Amino acid sequence: MTTGVTTLTTAPRWRGTDFATQVAVLTGRSLRSLVGDPRMIFLSLLQPLVMLTLFSQIFASMANTPGFPSGVRYIDYLMPAILVNTAMQSALQAGIGLITDMKNGVLARFRSLPIRLGSVLVARSLSDLVRTTAQLVLMLLFAVTIFGFAPAGGVLGTLAALALALVVGWGLGWIFLAIAAWLRNAEMMQTVGFLAMFPLMFASSAYVPVAGLPAWLRAVAEVNPLTYAVNAARSLALAQPVTGVVGALVASAALAAVGGALAIRGFRRPLS
Amino acid sequence: MTDLMIEATDVHKAFGAQKALDGVGVAVPRGTVLGLLGHNGAGKTTLVNVLTTMLPPDRGQASVAGFDVVAQAHQVRSRIGLTGQFAAVDEGLSGHDNLVLIARLLGASPKEARARATELLDVFGLGDAARRASRTYSGGMRRRLDLAASLVGHPEVIFLDEPTTGLDPASRLGLWEIVENLVADGTTVLLTTQYLDEADRLADSITVLSAGRVVASGTSAELKAQVGRRTVTVTLGRADDVPAASLALERAGLHPVAAGVALTAPVTSSRELAVVVRALDEVGLEAAELALAEPTLDDVYLTLSRHAA
Repeated sequence: MTTGVTTLTTAPRWRGTDFATQVAVLTGRSLRSLVGDPRMIFLSLLQPLVMLTLFSQIFASMANTPGFPSGVRYIDYLMPAILVNTAMQSALQAGIGLITDMKNGVLARFRSLPIRLGSVLVARSLSDLVRTTAQLVLMLLFAVTIFGFAPAGGVLGTLAALALALVVGWGLGWIFLAIAAWLRNAEMMQTVGFLAMFPLMFASSAYVPVAGLPAWLRAVAEVNPLTYAVNAARSLALAQPVTGVVGALVASAALAAVGGALAIRGFRRPLS
Repeated sequence: MTDLMIEATDVHKAFGAQKALDGVGVAVPRGTVLGLLGHNGAGKTTLVNVLTTMLPPDRGQASVAGFDVVAQAHQVRSRIGLTGQFAAVDEGLSGHDNLVLIARLLGASPKEARARATELLDVFGLGDAARRASRTYSGGMRRRLDLAASLVGHPEVIFLDEPTTGLDPASRLGLWEIVENLVADGTTVLLTTQYLDEADRLADSITVLSAGRVVASGTSAELKAQVGRRTVTVTLGRADDVPAASLALERAGLHPVAAGVALTAPVTSSRELAVVVRALDEVGLEAAELALAEPTLDDVYLTLSRHAA
């Protein structure tokens, strides 16, 4: 271990780079660790897969209940909701990923570099968008090949529903990034996420038509933003009159804006 | 050149009611090493965090490489390297990819980044492990990778926060050599440590922190003179010899204190070892063991806090 005198000082000094390059380099870093350890992709697919399997079997008779859209098979009704649900789980994973990053020593290193800290967050969000896309595409492949998912909207409608689920997940991801930047504790984050998501998913139109819910639950479902996201995705996949797509997009953008502002403030606080 | 690469005046930082820094000032000329000495909680890491723009000071001014750490944080960051107590590397990436990542973030092209990574890995003896995930590295390797990571951008000022804590003696020595080479190259270094011998070996000047205040500063020799004397400990073969030996040392002008079969006396220089040997020889005694002890950080602390009180 000998340090050559010239090695350490004579090369040109770099003075930093632009925001876009920072984001690109950092996104590449996150994606590389994702490719290096694809177990996370598959593990995070397990829950939605179990839900898809169970619900498509258990609730199949739901298609015969009053209030269910006529001529629609349950799997076609269910799948858009599963897409949205998976994207939401993925949003929670973005927050947990940020906390893991903060535990990883490399974040302390980033703070001492001449980069904008926001680039770390944007890169996190972008790489999670890529991961979520991979997950949703895999889910769709399962649904089509194993469960016979074939909605009236066809490929285009399905892709539109997928895109909408991605946007919703991305917007919500910023909220979880904000929570992560302030909480900085993976266990608490899991609990918060679980507490928020479970009731949101079930007190909504995700698995049964809202009309079929008990009155008090229906009241909750009707103000639940998730109902609108699911309805919008469903209307795209089933080629029904499109409802609430613009609303879902605007709401997602609002979530991203608020979450992004809070996330950067929380993230800038010293590490310890 | 006498330009100051690190300059801090009257820096205050409190965490709630606890004053981590209570009016600290340091000045480090270019190409020199400042050793920041102090126990845990003395404020060393807080000062490093302020100087590396990680923490804003509550009060006071600090500049690094001529740039204010608050108003010109970005300029400061592009000129410093930081190696903390915990390796700040991405455990999921290989050593090579870690260094490439940092070079890219600093503005190097992919090609330049790869070249710089390869170069540093070779310098730090990590060439063979370059492609392995850094989580498989030993503690010493990780510390070297961390130091390499902080050198990617050719920093003018390097902050080493307890760089050898937890390292085995060989790794410790290796790290010292690297630091010495960096300084020879003209790099300015601020080093925090709990070990007097480390500061002794590496630092041109030493600042001692205690409870967020500078309690002493100067060269190693100046500090030791301030602390007082080294001690010599004579261990005798038999307890019966202790009184005679004690008398002999007193006649030689020393002030021994007995403890079991050992006598300890403060001395001013290592030359007084000869005085001790001669004094014992005159009364026909021989020491079973003779040891010269340097003042420790504890001695520095005890003496200085006594002065402060």
